Parts: sequence; C-alpha cells; structure tokens
Amino acid sequence: MEAVIVEKVTKSFDEKLVLDRISFSVERGEFLAIVGPNGSGKTTLLRVIAGVLKPDFGRVEVRGSIGVVPQENLLLPWKKIGSNIELGLKFRRVPEEERRDKVRKMASFLGIEEYLDLYPWKVSGGIARKSAIARALVLDPDILLLDEPLTGLDISSRENLTESLTKLRGKITVILVTHSMEEVFTLADRVVMLTPRPARVASVFRTGEISERDLKDFLMG
Amino acid sequence: MSAIEDLRGWAVVISLSFIGWEALSLWNPRFIPDPAGVVIYLLSTDPRELLGNMAITISNSTQGFFLGSLLGIGLICLSYFSDLLRSSIRVLNTVVQSISVLVWTIIFVMVFGVLSFIPSVLVTAMVVLPVVLSNLITSMEAVDEKLLDLTFLLGASRKDELVDVILPSSLPYLASAARVGYGLALRISVVAEAFGSSGGIGFMIVHCYNLMDPKGVFAWSLFLVVLMIFVDKLVFKPLERYAMRWKL
Ligand SMILES: Nc1ncnc2c1ncn2[C@@H]1O[C@H](COP(=O)(O)OP(=O)(O)O)[C@@H](O)[C@H]1O
Ligand SMILES: [Mg+2]
Repeated sequence: MEAVIVEKVTKSFDEKLVLDRISFSVERGEFLAIVGPNGSGKTTLLRVIAGVLKPDFGRVEVRGSIGVVPQENLLLPWKKIGSNIELGLKFRRVPEEERRDKVRKMASFLGIEEYLDLYPWKVSGGIARKSAIARALVLDPDILLLDEPLTGLDISSRENLTESLTKLRGKITVILVTHSMEEVFTLADRVVMLTPRPARVASVFRTGEISERDLKDFLMG
Repeated sequence: MSAIEDLRGWAVVISLSFIGWEALSLWNPRFIPDPAGVVIYLLSTDPRELLGNMAITISNSTQGFFLGSLLGIGLICLSYFSDLLRSSIRVLNTVVQSISVLVWTIIFVMVFGVLSFIPSVLVTAMVVLPVVLSNLITSMEAVDEKLLDLTFLLGASRKDELVDVILPSSLPYLASAARVGYGLALRISVVAEAFGSSGGIGFMIVHCYNLMDPKGVFAWSLFLVVLMIFVDKLVFKPLERYAMRWKL
C-alpha cells in the first residue's frame, strides 16, 4: 500500500527546468532516501510533495498527514524551543495541558528535554535540527519529510541524530532528501537517485540489494 | 563598536561643537551667547521649571508617538486581511508623508485652540505614522516565504500567522521605527508647542525669543538636545538591541 505516489512531476522556475518527469512511490512505513547533487531540485521536490508548490505537470498523491522538517529548520527565534515544538498543536487548538504533555514526550524521545526553555539561537545545530524534527513529529504525522537533516552538523551530532532517525524506521513513512549517499545508506530502505538539474530519476534501488563498496564503485563511475 | 571608541567619538563631537559655538559667539555676541554663559543660565534655571516643561514635552511626544504607532500597527494588521485595504494604506502612507508639519500644526491649533496640548500630540502622531507604516510595510515584504509555508503546513490560520509570525518578525523593524519615530516626535512636538501656549520646551524657546533673550533660546535648545540624546541612549538603543537579540 503506497503512502505517497509521485507521477511525472515537472516543474520549471521561469523557463529553468528543475524537475523533469519525476516518478516514484513510497510504501507505507518505508524509509526512502532521495539523493541528488546540490541544486538538483530536491527541496523543490519536497515542496511539491508537501503541497506548498504546484507542479507544472504531473501529480502527487499523498495518503495521510504530512510533517515537514525544512533544510533551514525555520525555528522562530522569538520563541523558546518548547514553544516552537508546540506551535502546530497550538494552531490546531489542542488544550494547553495536552500540548505540554506531548511536547515533553517528544522531547524526551529525541533527547532534548533540557533545552525546551532555551531560545533556538542559544543551542547547537544538532539540537536545533532535533527541535525542528520534534515540531513535526509532535503532530503525529503519517509521513515525515526531511530536507538534508544531517547536513551542516558535526560528526557527533550527526551520529546522534542518525540514531534518533533509526528509531523512526518502520513506525512512520519517511522521505529524506540529501546530497550525500553515505549519510543515508544505513538508514534508508530504498534510495532514489536523481541526476543533476534538471532532476530526473537516475536509478532506484534497495539498500539491502547492494553493498556499500559496490555503491562507492558505482558512484565513482 | 567598542565603548571606548564610542566615548572618543562623543568627545570629538562635543568639543568641536563647543569650539564652533564659542567662535560664533565671538563673531556675533549679540545674538549668539557663549556656551559657558548658556550652561550657567541652564544650571541657574529653577529645576521645577525645567522639569515641568520637560514633562510636558515628553508627555506630548510620548502620547503622539504611541498614537501614531498604534494607528500604524492597527492599519497594517487590517491590511493583512484585505488587498484593497493594503493598497489603500500604501497610498495613505504616501499622502500623509507629503503633508507638512506646518500644515498639520496650523490645522490642529485652529481646531483645538492654542491652550490645548492636543495639537502637539496629533501633529506628532501624524509624523510618526508614516515612519511606522513604511517600516512595517518593508517588514511584511521581508517575511520569509518558507516560514509562511511552514506555518501553513503546521495548521496556522491567517490570524495565527499574523500574531505568531508576521508581527514578531517585524519587531526589529518596529524597534528601529520607534527609535527614528520618537526622535522625530520629540523634535516635532516642540514645533507644535511653539504655536500654542500650553507650555513645553518648544513653548519656552519661543517665549525666550519673544522676550529677546537669546541665552534662554540657546539654553532650552541645549536642554532639548541633551534630553533627546539621553532618551535615545537609555530607552531606544537598548530596545533595538533587545528586538534584534537573535541577530547579535
Ligand atoms: N522559488 C524559486 N524561484 C526560482 N528558482 C528556484 C526557486 N526555488 C528553487 N529554485 C531553483 O531551482 C533549482 C533547484 O533548487 P533546490 O530545489 O533548492 O535544489 P536542492 O534542494 O537540490 O539543492 C536551483 O537552481 C534553484 O535556484
Ligand atoms: Mg535543498
């Protein structure tokens, strides 16, 4: 049963073709990585899937609710981490008691309870990224979209976050886009490789079917 | 900029101003009193008179400032819900910006009379309004589209968006507007005071002028300058820093 179906999605920005007939689907509960070079159109693709950008052609079918973690985190600097995580619950008029409870549970799942009372600009990149993830997960989405979640983090935060993301496997459908294959090889069930802009699907494979060494050889050409 | 550099800048400007002033007073002692005389005049003025008129000026400019700011913020909030209102408010901003302080002053003094403090407040409000409007219009245009996409996905209504994203993200702009606006308010409210007779620093400057007392004119002007600098340093500089604290 598919959670997301992307069919021949095509998108240009003033004559510049960015997405070229992209098609793939994601099974429910699957962890899918989309890998493509910088500027290939990954963020654009996620925005189309999230529904904030209309494709020029093609269609996207999403079965379930979506949570988004943008590349820049986009935490509100005038709100503490806790209030940032709480934002979606507040917009959905969830009672305050329940909001607090959910935020605390999600923060402890990701190991960021001690940062809830700090401002986002006071914490490390890793904690900020986890806060943005918590903000999405606390709404209990069926599908999570992650835009370059590991990019820009130091090695230990990267390992720490990878561990947290591993805990999501099987629980929720995840689409993760990244420019770095190594980052996701151990996380993803399946990988969609994109070409440089305009992005087309170059290949799709299961990570179980290919060894890391073969993959490196393949990538090197 | 370090505090030391800042102090050095102040020392240069203050000493150059006094030297220039001294030179001018030697050139035309009849109308330009010497700095020492003016400072002595100021120090020997009854403090109650100083503080009383200062209170009037501060009260006029503060009320005008808040009136203009609230009007500006209110209009911008309204404009968020209607395209027609948005374009009307832009035009209004341009129109208000092109009306001279003199025109406002004379109209309000005619309507409310010379004994009222209201003209000073209203004139100030009319001068602050376009400053606030212009800054807020810029800040609305500068709000990150991606941020609005995100809050939309999180389920924000148009009102949530305004309250939780648009207004807070315009705080740094509002703080700069407040700094510029209050400086203007202090400078403009005294002009309106000069036309009336309800007191205030502006009134005192004209009063001394009418008595042919140049020392008084200079003393009250100096007092106004010092007051403005203190308000800026003690209130608006810190406010601006607070509003931009995540950018520091
Ligand atoms: N809103 C936009 N307007 C114009 N061009 C855009 C816009 N968004 C993205 N692009 C362009 O589309 C291309 C792909 O961008 P993006 O999807 O951000 O790539 P990636 O996330 O893979 O690095 C880039 O060349 C970028 O300049
Ligand atoms: Mg991107």
